[in-house]
Amino acid sequence: MVALTLAIPLASGSGVRALAAFGGGTAVVNRLALVGAFFVVFIPASFSLVLALESFVGERERTTLEVLLSTPLREAEIYAGKVAAVLAVSLTLCYGGLLVYCLVTFPGLGYFPLAILLALALSTICQVAAMVAGAVIISLNARTMRAANVMASFIILPMSIALQAEAALILIGRAEYLWAFALLMLVVAVVFLRMGFNGFSREALLARDVGLRNPWRRAVNAVRGSFEGRPGLLRLVWMRRTPMLIAAAGFPIGAVAGYLAGATNVIPANVVRPVLTSLVRTTNASGAIDEALLIFSHNVLAFVLVAALAILTAGLSGFLLTFAPGFILGFAAALTSWTFALSGIVPNGFVEIPAAIIAGGLAIQIGAAAIHMDPSGGWTARVLAAFADYVRALRWLVPALAVASVLEVLLG
Amino acid sequence: MLEVDGLAKRYGEVLALRDLSVRVDEGECLVLLGRNGAGKTTALRCMAGVLLPSAGNVKVDGIDAADDPAAVRALVGLMPEVPGLYERMSARSYLDHFGAIYDLEPSLRTRRIGELLELFELADAGDRWLGTYSKGMRQKVALIRATLHRPRLVLADEPTSALDPDSARRAWNYLKDLQKDGCALVICTHSMEEAENLAGDIGIMSAGRALAVGSIVELRRRSGLKTHQEVRELPSLQDIYLAIVGNGAAEHELAETRSA
Ligand SMILES: Nc1ncnc2c1ncn2[C@@H]1O[C@H](COP(=O)(O)OP(=O)(O)O)[C@@H](O)[C@H]1O
Ligand SMILES: [Mg+2]
Repeated sequence: MVALTLAIPLASGSGVRALAAFGGGTAVVNRLALVGAFFVVFIPASFSLVLALESFVGERERTTLEVLLSTPLREAEIYAGKVAAVLAVSLTLCYGGLLVYCLVTFPGLGYFPLAILLALALSTICQVAAMVAGAVIISLNARTMRAANVMASFIILPMSIALQAEAALILIGRAEYLWAFALLMLVVAVVFLRMGFNGFSREALLARDVGLRNPWRRAVNAVRGSFEGRPGLLRLVWMRRTPMLIAAAGFPIGAVAGYLAGATNVIPANVVRPVLTSLVRTTNASGAIDEALLIFSHNVLAFVLVAALAILTAGLSGFLLTFAPGFILGFAAALTSWTFALSGIVPNGFVEIPAAIIAGGLAIQIGAAAIHMDPSGGWTARVLAAFADYVRALRWLVPALAVASVLEVLLG
Repeated sequence: MLEVDGLAKRYGEVLALRDLSVRVDEGECLVLLGRNGAGKTTALRCMAGVLLPSAGNVKVDGIDAADDPAAVRALVGLMPEVPGLYERMSARSYLDHFGAIYDLEPSLRTRRIGELLELFELADAGDRWLGTYSKGMRQKVALIRATLHRPRLVLADEPTSALDPDSARRAWNYLKDLQKDGCALVICTHSMEEAENLAGDIGIMSAGRALAVGSIVELRRRSGLKTHQEVRELPSLQDIYLAIVGNGAAEHELAETRSA
């Protein structure tokens, strides 16, 4: 690993220099120098994933876990020790590589993007921390290393998307975007670290039953069980009043944000206009049924997507369900007037908005369940229950959306 | 030293341990016998403050394991069923690492590690990677690790199952020495010789329950076995054990082979 971290920056650094020496265009060389830095940092960062996946399930497979757990070390110390050890190794490799690369590449190149390199270094810490924290959660919950490797794709996929975004940001060459990226990764890392820490206990590692028979039947039973004994819609809305309130707040917050965005021209109007026209579109009597169906299917799709994305986005998608229409409304109001904008959502809004608030609140609940871990386990049961609530609520929400689409076409 | 009262432990749907009550004073040794899956390992983990009881309580030196498991773990030395060593460490550095976790002074731990490696005939191999050790050597290292910090209570799960008879005897003598220094012992084993050698009290477990707890003499009385007429010897612990566990057939066979 150490050899690789040295060889790669040496090779890529020399490559960039060679290109510069043999008359590559300055712009190309400069860009390439940055992309090289990105790779040099990224490759050791990916080692951290393997190390972190190993951390607990590896000790379990090598039967050293029980000894570690029998020491007086507290849960927090073991967890922090594991995370810190992985981070220390991989960050040392990252920064060692970056340093070697910079020493090889930049002297005499007449170009040294300090701000970007610093931002890259910071976003690397945050990204590696997020990856490590996520992998440690997998390592805590997997029973075998092989299972952990399979589950690692839940980290690799989102991370590869994040990396592509990061690469694009580096090519754009604006440090502030990288800072924002680092901040996002930091939030993810903190959420994961908290989850892992809360879910970490000796009990969870040693006493959770293993080798269950009939995994398929168990899964079916778990799903069926999650639907049993759930409250009716009204009681559910009361039980979930906090996420409902958050979702409800999304609408006015979105409206204000949209209004500000529209009034200050942050977003060019031509991006939002197509959406706006669909919002305030005049009805076309001949295709009324088609149009109602279109609006209806659109909204149902949005509700389904929001639930599906709730786990990945920690419930943010639920908030967006009310925030986005609010934003569009505010934006339209800024371009025209509040009266005109509001007239666009009457009367169907009276049905759609409460439906969106309920669905949004339940989606936020799914997200909250997804990022909550407990030493006594039960994560799956809680997430399934939150999903079951959502699905059961759809029995009311889907007809409501149908009514709203008819209202919109007939009276809107 | 160790007071266990009404201890139960549930793993999901499995009730691995139910209503176990035992007491071990300083300098005493309790030997737990029982078939595979009887709950011995689970009992040790609960006594070591590694797992929390589902019901009942465990007190070590007056500290309740549910209230302050870390303090209990600091007083206890647990030797699990499998040695669980880090293969890519030498015995010395491995033991030193754990000595440090238990807050032993560096000079003290170097001295103790040296003495104990010597005692268990590992001094020469002490700088080799543990991955190269034989099963018995690993078990010795695990025993040293569990007792390095001079715990007040040693919990050992089949501590000599892989040792040759000579090394096993050495290990028993070592455990008896610890006992003389006031350490309490709980040993799980399938070796009747080990049990007879170490035991003060013997607990016979089955399906998560203690069928009987007491000294060999008491258990002999409870088992109802008489002195073997033919050979005029006391019923062995093996006989007593099988009688209490309720395996009459095996007992007959054993008696026959002995008289033959
Ligand atoms: N992590 C676990 N999850 C589920 N069941 C377990 C677990 N560990 C042990 N058991 C069960 O608990 C019972 C007691 O096991 P154990 O204490 O290891 O027995 P022993 O050490 O006496 O052989 C057994 O039935 C075993 O299958
Ligand atoms: Mg066992």
